[in-house]
Amino acid sequence: MGKEKVIPLHMIPDVGSEVVEVGNERFLQTNEAMFTFYKRTKGEHSPFFLALKERRIILGGRCPECKLVRVPPFELYCPECNFAELELIEMPDTGVMNSTPPITYFAHSLFQHQVPFGRGRVMLDGADTGLPIHVYTTKGVLTPRTFKKGTPVKIVFRDNRLGKPTDIFAVPLSELKAAQRKKKGLLESELDWATPKEPRLPKPTKKAKEALRSVIDQLQDLAARAAKSPRAQNDLAGWKRTVQVKTGGGPFFIEIARKRLKFQAGTAKKADFVMVVKDPKLFKDWINFKESLTNAIIAEKLWISKNVEFITVFKLDRIPRSIRRSKS
Amino acid sequence: MREVAIVGAGITTCKGRWVERTYYGLSQMAVKAALEDACIPVKDVDAVVYGIYNDIFELSAIPEHPLQGIVGMANKPGLRVTTGGATGAYAMLTGYSLIASGLYDVVMCLGVEKATDCFDFTSQTSTPEVIKTIGWSGDTFYERELGWTASDSYAEVVLAYMDEYPEDLEDGVSAKISEILCEQAQNNPYAQRYGERVTAEMAMNSRYVVYPFKLLETCVYTEGAGAVIFACKDKAKAICKNAGVPPIWVTGLGASNEHHVAGKDLRHKLMHRIMSDHLAAQAAYKMAGIKDPLKEIQVIELHDAFIKQLQITMAEMGFTELGRSDNLVKEGLMVPGGPLLVNPSGGLTYGGHFVGGSNMFSCWSARRELINRGLHRGLIHGTGSTIAQFGCVMIIERRS
Repeated sequence: MGKEKVIPLHMIPDVGSEVVEVGNERFLQTNEAMFTFYKRTKGEHSPFFLALKERRIILGGRCPECKLVRVPPFELYCPECNFAELELIEMPDTGVMNSTPPITYFAHSLFQHQVPFGRGRVMLDGADTGLPIHVYTTKGVLTPRTFKKGTPVKIVFRDNRLGKPTDIFAVPLSELKAAQRKKKGLLESELDWATPKEPRLPKPTKKAKEALRSVIDQLQDLAARAAKSPRAQNDLAGWKRTVQVKTGGGPFFIEIARKRLKFQAGTAKKADFVMVVKDPKLFKDWINFKESLTNAIIAEKLWISKNVEFITVFKLDRIPRSIRRSKS
Repeated sequence: MREVAIVGAGITTCKGRWVERTYYGLSQMAVKAALEDACIPVKDVDAVVYGIYNDIFELSAIPEHPLQGIVGMANKPGLRVTTGGATGAYAMLTGYSLIASGLYDVVMCLGVEKATDCFDFTSQTSTPEVIKTIGWSGDTFYERELGWTASDSYAEVVLAYMDEYPEDLEDGVSAKISEILCEQAQNNPYAQRYGERVTAEMAMNSRYVVYPFKLLETCVYTEGAGAVIFACKDKAKAICKNAGVPPIWVTGLGASNEHHVAGKDLRHKLMHRIMSDHLAAQAAYKMAGIKDPLKEIQVIELHDAFIKQLQITMAEMGFTELGRSDNLVKEGLMVPGGPLLVNPSGGLTYGGHFVGGSNMFSCWSARRELINRGLHRGLIHGTGSTIAQFGCVMIIERRS
């Protein structure tokens, strides 16, 4: 595999033009791009980013007069104190969320591989400004309720760092063991990503089991229709996953392979990730466009065990729409 | 300072995509409409101020340069203003200042934007590329690489407000406001979503763009242009007498840009406030002599990038209390028949949002309402940049 490019090659269109007709008139449009390459100076921001990359520490800038501590140290001088020169200081790597961070589920093309991600601001202990940072949980999918204003967090460093804002992210302090909380320069690889906190379900009642059977019937019908829809097959192309779904009416699993969907009651031999939903009717609502799986995750009606598998949910969400479009 | 009045305004139809027109053509259309409205030839205009937000949308680093000649302003002064979403409002503040200072007598403010020429060839749709393009507007050292977008940036502010006021911003209220704005857009033949019917239930059930923003409670992307002509007192009276319309006087202006970094006090951004809107409104009220905006203002054209932000901005501008913005609906402040006419154009959610000219579109609408309904006073608002950093407010009046 070649080195990563500053512009992903697959995004670059061919040279070309086309005619678009509006009414009886013809209009021309051409494929173009506005691009500039940079060797961009990080200048006075360099110590902060180099400290992330090389020393796994976070720097702040303290005003010698008003003692205000700015993190990151985004300026040389304090405008409040006649531009007194700031001094760089090492900051603690724990703090609290300044406010509830937004979670992005639908990103543009440059960030689609990261969804869902939270972009928040951490007020490190002793700081007076918020450090912009990604926030993640090791306990399953990120939802708007994972982080709140005041949630205690620790800064974690990526194993591969480039001197960028993405070299670090924050996780809830409550997800870490005592030794991890104390450790300076904690690495991503030292976190436990493998034991998500699965929501508990009540024992299935007879009525709930019957409801699930009805849902699975409808899902199997959806799978049959997806097999006839070129758009749906395109959505599933190149994707292979087994998803164990646990519901209040019992378990079933989803297989995605060779552009096909399969829904089957019971437990899969091996699953890539787990979905948990109390009321299986969610899947009926999904088929009938009353609810998307994404909205259900946001509303915490649906839980998935791996944040990175949101991309599979995103693909599944397209299927009912694609089947409908293939018909039209 | 000299008195200044609006003597003409014109806009293009708001469309998601104008394949038939470039921003050159859109500019000419809006200028032609504004001049016809004022019944003056372009030679009577002394200077032009361009509101164009984003170079990348226009594919030019000096997008205003080709406009100077084609809008009939060759050999006259012209300057461009760009302040994110608040570009149009700031451009009109600049146009006002040029006249109030005594430098020029008649100034035209032209706002124009393309947007959906930006195209993501991977997904074969425009929206991801439009979002990416706006994404270059955030802090490029610390935030852009974290996936900064306009939506998640304003969501930060709204979520922080919800931290402080968890009982406010009920989903049912913002959905109802969406329905009201959609209904109002049906009185604006230039509106992008003219002919559509969106109910509160539809808004409520629409998908999240970024929590807590739903698709039908979020502004549209628009291509279009709007022009507003301002004049000094003597010229305004003469022009308006000839055109047979009343001059609409600009009696208040205020602007404020906050810090772009979040902090603990007003030395930096207080995330749960939109102080830019609050300070801009207070300055405009002081200049216009307004003591109680709820009683003294009848028409508001507010920059509703997101409906929950509209609610906070209304509170920041003093039309309701912070933490009680749901009163806009619950106490009927902005429901049909209530004391306030908010976004009769349909706003940016249903009317249109061609960024550099959206506030000209708002100004066009507020002036139209003052003239057609015989109302006394209106407010035009623009917000922009990361975390609602920029705010600008203009008060306009019709004198009896």
